[in-house]
Amino acid sequence: MYAQAFFVAAFGLAAIGFGVAVFRTSSMVRSALALLFSQTAVGCMFLAMQTEFLGVLQIMMMATEMSIMTIFMVMFMMDPGGLGGMDMSHQKRFSIGAGLSAAGAAIAVALLADWGPITAEAPDAAMQTRELGIEMLGRSMLIFETAAVTILTAMIAATAVAIPAHTLADNGNKEVSE
Amino acid sequence: MITVLLLALVTGAILFGVGVYGALSQTNLVMIMMGVELILAGALVNLVAFWRFLHPESYSGQMFVLVVMTVMALEMAVGFGVAIARFRAKGSVEMEEAGDLKG
Repeated sequence: MYAQAFFVAAFGLAAIGFGVAVFRTSSMVRSALALLFSQTAVGCMFLAMQTEFLGVLQIMMMATEMSIMTIFMVMFMMDPGGLGGMDMSHQKRFSIGAGLSAAGAAIAVALLADWGPITAEAPDAAMQTRELGIEMLGRSMLIFETAAVTILTAMIAATAVAIPAHTLADNGNKEVSE
Repeated sequence: MITVLLLALVTGAILFGVGVYGALSQTNLVMIMMGVELILAGALVNLVAFWRFLHPESYSGQMFVLVVMTVMALEMAVGFGVAIARFRAKGSVEMEEAGDLKG
Protein backbone atom coordinates (compact mmCIF):
# COMPACT_ATOMS: atom_id res chain seq x y z
CA MET A 1 0.00 0.00 0.00
CA TYR A 2 2.85 2.39 0.83
CA ALA A 3 4.52 1.56 -2.47
CA GLN A 4 1.27 2.26 -4.31
CA ALA A 5 0.84 5.60 -2.50
CA PHE A 6 4.46 6.51 -3.30
CA PHE A 7 4.15 5.75 -7.01
CA VAL A 8 0.74 7.45 -7.36
CA ALA A 9 2.16 10.56 -5.65
CA ALA A 10 5.40 10.51 -7.68
CA PHE A 11 3.66 10.10 -11.05
CA GLY A 12 1.00 12.62 -9.98
CA LEU A 13 3.70 15.20 -9.21
CA ALA A 14 5.35 14.47 -12.56
CA ALA A 15 2.00 14.89 -14.37
CA ILE A 16 1.36 18.23 -12.65
CA GLY A 17 4.96 19.45 -13.15
CA PHE A 18 4.97 18.69 -16.87
CA GLY A 19 1.40 20.07 -17.14
CA VAL A 20 2.58 23.41 -15.73
CA ALA A 21 5.66 23.29 -17.99
CA VAL A 22 3.36 23.17 -21.05
CA PHE A 23 2.39 26.82 -20.48
CA ARG A 24 5.69 28.07 -19.09
CA THR A 25 7.99 27.48 -22.04
CA SER A 26 7.97 29.65 -25.15
CA SER A 27 9.16 26.79 -27.36
CA MET A 28 6.13 25.07 -28.85
CA VAL A 29 7.97 21.80 -29.42
CA ARG A 30 8.88 21.74 -25.72
CA SER A 31 5.24 22.49 -24.86
CA ALA A 32 4.04 19.50 -26.89
CA LEU A 33 6.71 17.23 -25.39
CA ALA A 34 5.85 18.43 -21.86
CA LEU A 35 2.21 17.54 -22.53
CA LEU A 36 3.32 14.13 -23.81
CA PHE A 37 5.29 13.52 -20.61
CA SER A 38 2.37 14.76 -18.49
CA GLN A 39 -0.08 12.38 -20.21
CA THR A 40 2.43 9.52 -19.95
CA ALA A 41 2.75 10.20 -16.21
CA VAL A 42 -1.07 10.01 -16.00
CA GLY A 43 -0.87 6.62 -17.76
CA CYS A 44 1.77 5.51 -15.24
CA MET A 45 -0.59 6.60 -12.45
CA PHE A 46 -3.18 4.23 -13.92
CA LEU A 47 -0.59 1.44 -13.86
CA ALA A 48 0.24 2.29 -10.23
CA MET A 49 -3.50 2.03 -9.46
CA GLN A 50 -3.52 -1.49 -10.96
CA THR A 51 -5.52 -0.47 -14.03
CA GLU A 52 -3.08 -1.99 -16.50
CA PHE A 53 -5.17 -2.02 -19.69
CA LEU A 54 -6.23 1.63 -19.37
CA GLY A 55 -2.70 2.68 -18.39
CA VAL A 56 -1.11 1.12 -21.46
CA LEU A 57 -3.93 2.46 -23.67
CA GLN A 58 -3.44 5.98 -22.29
CA ILE A 59 0.33 5.90 -22.90
CA MET A 60 -0.04 4.52 -26.46
CA MET A 61 -2.83 6.93 -27.43
CA MET A 62 -1.11 9.98 -26.02
CA ALA A 63 2.26 9.10 -27.59
CA THR A 64 0.72 9.16 -31.08
CA GLU A 65 -1.59 12.09 -30.34
CA MET A 66 1.15 14.31 -28.98
CA SER A 67 3.55 13.40 -31.80
CA ILE A 68 0.93 14.63 -34.28
CA MET A 69 0.37 17.70 -32.12
CA THR A 70 4.10 18.50 -32.22
CA ILE A 71 4.01 18.50 -36.04
CA PHE A 72 0.98 20.82 -36.03
CA MET A 73 2.64 23.13 -33.52
CA VAL A 74 5.68 23.52 -35.77
CA MET A 75 3.41 24.05 -38.81
CA PHE A 76 1.10 26.66 -37.34
CA MET A 77 3.00 28.62 -34.72
CA MET A 78 4.56 31.91 -35.67
CA ASP A 79 7.60 31.20 -33.48
CA PRO A 80 7.77 27.41 -32.96
CA GLY A 81 11.30 27.45 -31.56
CA GLY A 82 10.46 30.15 -29.02
CA LEU A 83 13.62 32.10 -29.99
CA GLY A 84 11.72 35.39 -30.28
CA GLY A 85 10.42 35.12 -26.72
CA MET A 86 6.86 36.02 -27.82
CA ASP A 87 4.18 36.12 -25.13
CA MET A 88 1.16 34.29 -26.50
CA SER A 89 -1.14 34.63 -23.52
CA HIS A 90 -3.84 37.05 -22.44
CA GLN A 91 -6.16 37.71 -19.45
CA LYS A 92 -3.55 36.09 -17.18
CA ARG A 93 -4.99 37.22 -13.83
CA PHE A 94 -8.47 36.02 -14.68
CA SER A 95 -7.08 32.69 -15.94
CA ILE A 96 -4.97 32.12 -12.83
CA GLY A 97 -7.98 32.97 -10.64
CA ALA A 98 -10.24 30.61 -12.59
CA GLY A 99 -7.67 27.81 -12.51
CA LEU A 100 -7.06 28.20 -8.76
CA SER A 101 -10.81 28.37 -8.03
CA ALA A 102 -11.52 25.26 -10.11
CA ALA A 103 -8.68 23.28 -8.53
CA GLY A 104 -9.54 24.54 -5.03
CA ALA A 105 -13.21 23.61 -5.35
CA ALA A 106 -12.36 20.13 -6.66
CA ILE A 107 -9.78 19.56 -3.88
CA ALA A 108 -12.30 20.71 -1.26
CA VAL A 109 -14.86 18.20 -2.55
CA ALA A 110 -12.19 15.46 -2.63
CA LEU A 111 -11.13 16.11 0.96
CA LEU A 112 -14.51 16.84 2.53
CA ALA A 113 -16.73 14.24 0.88
CA ASP A 114 -17.44 10.92 2.53
CA TRP A 115 -16.31 8.38 -0.04
CA GLY A 116 -17.67 5.35 1.81
CA PRO A 117 -15.90 2.00 2.06
CA ILE A 118 -12.62 1.69 0.14
CA THR A 119 -11.84 -1.54 -1.74
CA ALA A 120 -8.30 -2.74 -1.08
CA GLU A 121 -8.02 -5.46 -3.71
CA ALA A 122 -8.36 -4.84 -7.44
CA PRO A 123 -9.24 -7.60 -9.94
CA ASP A 124 -6.15 -8.93 -11.74
CA ALA A 125 -5.20 -7.55 -15.15
CA ALA A 126 -6.51 -10.50 -17.22
CA MET A 127 -9.84 -10.43 -15.38
CA GLN A 128 -10.15 -6.66 -15.90
CA THR A 129 -9.56 -6.92 -19.65
CA ARG A 130 -12.02 -9.82 -19.95
CA GLU A 131 -14.72 -8.08 -17.91
CA LEU A 132 -14.24 -4.81 -19.82
CA GLY A 133 -14.66 -6.68 -23.11
CA ILE A 134 -17.86 -8.30 -21.84
CA GLU A 135 -19.09 -4.90 -20.60
CA MET A 136 -18.41 -3.30 -24.00
CA LEU A 137 -20.21 -6.03 -25.91
CA GLY A 138 -22.99 -6.37 -23.36
CA ARG A 139 -24.57 -3.68 -21.23
CA SER A 140 -22.52 -0.79 -22.70
CA MET A 141 -22.73 -1.83 -26.34
CA LEU A 142 -24.90 1.13 -27.33
CA ILE A 143 -22.35 3.55 -25.80
CA PHE A 144 -19.51 1.69 -27.52
CA GLU A 145 -21.24 1.79 -30.90
CA THR A 146 -22.18 5.45 -30.43
CA ALA A 147 -18.52 6.26 -29.73
CA ALA A 148 -17.48 4.42 -32.90
CA VAL A 149 -20.01 6.27 -35.07
CA THR A 150 -18.99 9.56 -33.45
CA ILE A 151 -15.33 8.90 -34.31
CA LEU A 152 -16.31 8.21 -37.94
CA THR A 153 -18.42 11.39 -38.06
CA ALA A 154 -15.59 13.46 -36.56
CA MET A 155 -13.08 12.05 -39.06
CA ILE A 156 -15.33 12.98 -41.99
CA ALA A 157 -16.13 16.40 -40.48
CA ALA A 158 -12.44 17.18 -39.77
CA THR A 159 -11.44 16.19 -43.32
CA ALA A 160 -14.32 18.17 -44.85
CA VAL A 161 -13.37 21.26 -42.85
CA ALA A 162 -9.66 20.92 -43.63
CA ILE A 163 -9.73 20.45 -47.41
CA PRO A 164 -9.87 23.64 -49.49
CA ALA A 165 -13.23 24.57 -50.97
CA HIS A 166 -13.51 24.06 -54.73
CA THR A 167 -15.80 25.99 -57.00
CA LEU A 168 -16.44 25.56 -60.69
CA ALA A 169 -15.11 28.37 -62.86
CA ASP A 170 -17.08 29.63 -65.87
CA ASN A 171 -15.07 27.34 -68.18
CA GLY A 172 -16.00 24.31 -66.05
CA ASN A 173 -12.55 23.86 -64.50
CA LYS A 174 -12.20 23.43 -60.76
CA GLU A 175 -10.62 26.32 -58.92
CA VAL A 176 -9.71 26.66 -55.25
CA SER A 177 -11.55 29.43 -53.46
CA GLU A 178 -10.01 31.12 -50.40
CA MET B 1 -6.20 3.09 0.90
CA ILE B 2 -8.16 6.31 1.36
CA THR B 3 -4.77 8.09 1.15
CA VAL B 4 -4.14 6.77 -2.37
CA LEU B 5 -7.67 7.73 -3.45
CA LEU B 6 -7.20 11.25 -2.07
CA LEU B 7 -3.77 11.55 -3.72
CA ALA B 8 -5.30 10.63 -7.07
CA LEU B 9 -8.28 12.98 -6.61
CA VAL B 10 -6.06 15.91 -5.61
CA THR B 11 -3.78 15.24 -8.60
CA GLY B 12 -6.82 15.18 -10.89
CA ALA B 13 -8.10 18.44 -9.37
CA ILE B 14 -4.75 20.21 -9.87
CA LEU B 15 -4.45 18.94 -13.47
CA PHE B 16 -7.99 20.26 -14.05
CA GLY B 17 -6.99 23.68 -12.63
CA VAL B 18 -3.83 23.86 -14.76
CA GLY B 19 -5.91 22.93 -17.81
CA VAL B 20 -8.49 25.65 -17.05
CA TYR B 21 -5.67 28.19 -16.74
CA GLY B 22 -4.19 27.06 -20.06
CA ALA B 23 -7.48 27.01 -21.95
CA LEU B 24 -8.38 30.52 -20.76
CA SER B 25 -4.98 32.22 -20.96
CA GLN B 26 -3.55 31.05 -24.28
CA THR B 27 -4.17 32.92 -27.53
CA ASN B 28 -3.18 30.12 -29.91
CA LEU B 29 -5.78 27.52 -30.91
CA VAL B 30 -3.37 24.58 -30.55
CA MET B 31 -2.31 25.74 -27.06
CA ILE B 32 -5.98 26.08 -26.05
CA MET B 33 -6.47 22.48 -27.17
CA MET B 34 -3.55 21.48 -24.95
CA GLY B 35 -5.35 23.07 -21.99
CA VAL B 36 -8.50 21.09 -22.81
CA GLU B 37 -6.39 17.90 -22.98
CA LEU B 38 -5.15 18.58 -19.44
CA ILE B 39 -8.71 19.17 -18.21
CA LEU B 40 -9.74 15.80 -19.66
CA ALA B 41 -6.63 14.14 -18.18
CA GLY B 42 -7.73 15.39 -14.74
CA ALA B 43 -11.17 13.86 -15.35
CA LEU B 44 -9.54 10.57 -16.40
CA VAL B 45 -7.46 10.36 -13.22
CA ASN B 46 -10.59 10.86 -11.12
CA LEU B 47 -12.58 8.26 -13.06
CA VAL B 48 -9.87 5.61 -12.75
CA ALA B 49 -9.44 6.34 -9.02
CA PHE B 50 -13.20 6.09 -8.43
CA TRP B 51 -13.36 2.80 -10.32
CA ARG B 52 -10.31 1.30 -8.58
CA PHE B 53 -11.06 2.30 -4.99
CA LEU B 54 -14.85 2.59 -4.83
CA HIS B 55 -16.44 0.26 -7.43
CA PRO B 56 -13.94 -2.22 -8.92
CA GLU B 57 -16.76 -4.72 -9.39
CA SER B 58 -18.60 -2.49 -11.91
CA TYR B 59 -16.87 -2.08 -15.28
CA SER B 60 -19.06 0.87 -16.33
CA GLY B 61 -16.34 3.04 -14.75
CA GLN B 62 -13.71 1.71 -17.15
CA MET B 63 -16.17 2.14 -20.02
CA PHE B 64 -16.57 5.80 -19.01
CA VAL B 65 -12.76 6.17 -19.17
CA LEU B 66 -12.79 4.82 -22.74
CA VAL B 67 -15.50 7.33 -23.68
CA VAL B 68 -13.44 10.24 -22.26
CA MET B 69 -10.36 8.98 -24.18
CA THR B 70 -12.52 8.97 -27.34
CA VAL B 71 -13.57 12.55 -26.62
CA MET B 72 -9.87 13.51 -26.28
CA ALA B 73 -9.09 12.02 -29.70
CA LEU B 74 -12.14 13.65 -31.32
CA GLU B 75 -11.30 17.02 -29.84
CA MET B 76 -7.84 16.81 -31.38
CA ALA B 77 -9.12 15.69 -34.81
CA VAL B 78 -11.83 18.34 -35.12
CA GLY B 79 -9.60 21.00 -33.54
CA PHE B 80 -6.85 20.40 -36.07
CA GLY B 81 -9.41 20.43 -38.90
CA VAL B 82 -10.60 23.86 -37.73
CA ALA B 83 -6.97 24.98 -37.31
CA ILE B 84 -6.13 24.02 -40.90
CA ALA B 85 -9.24 25.79 -42.23
CA ARG B 86 -8.45 28.90 -40.20
CA PHE B 87 -4.78 28.90 -41.24
CA ARG B 88 -5.77 28.54 -44.90
CA ALA B 89 -8.26 31.40 -44.68
CA LYS B 90 -6.37 33.86 -42.44
CA GLY B 91 -2.78 32.62 -42.26
CA SER B 92 -2.86 32.35 -38.48
CA VAL B 93 -4.46 30.33 -35.69
CA GLU B 94 -4.28 33.18 -33.16
CA MET B 95 -7.68 33.39 -31.51
CA GLU B 96 -7.40 37.11 -30.76
CA GLU B 97 -7.59 37.65 -34.52
CA ALA B 98 -10.81 35.62 -34.71
CA GLY B 99 -13.13 38.46 -33.65
CA ASP B 100 -15.08 37.94 -36.87
CA LEU B 101 -16.45 34.70 -35.38
CA LYS B 102 -18.49 36.76 -32.89
CA GLY B 103 -22.21 36.77 -33.60
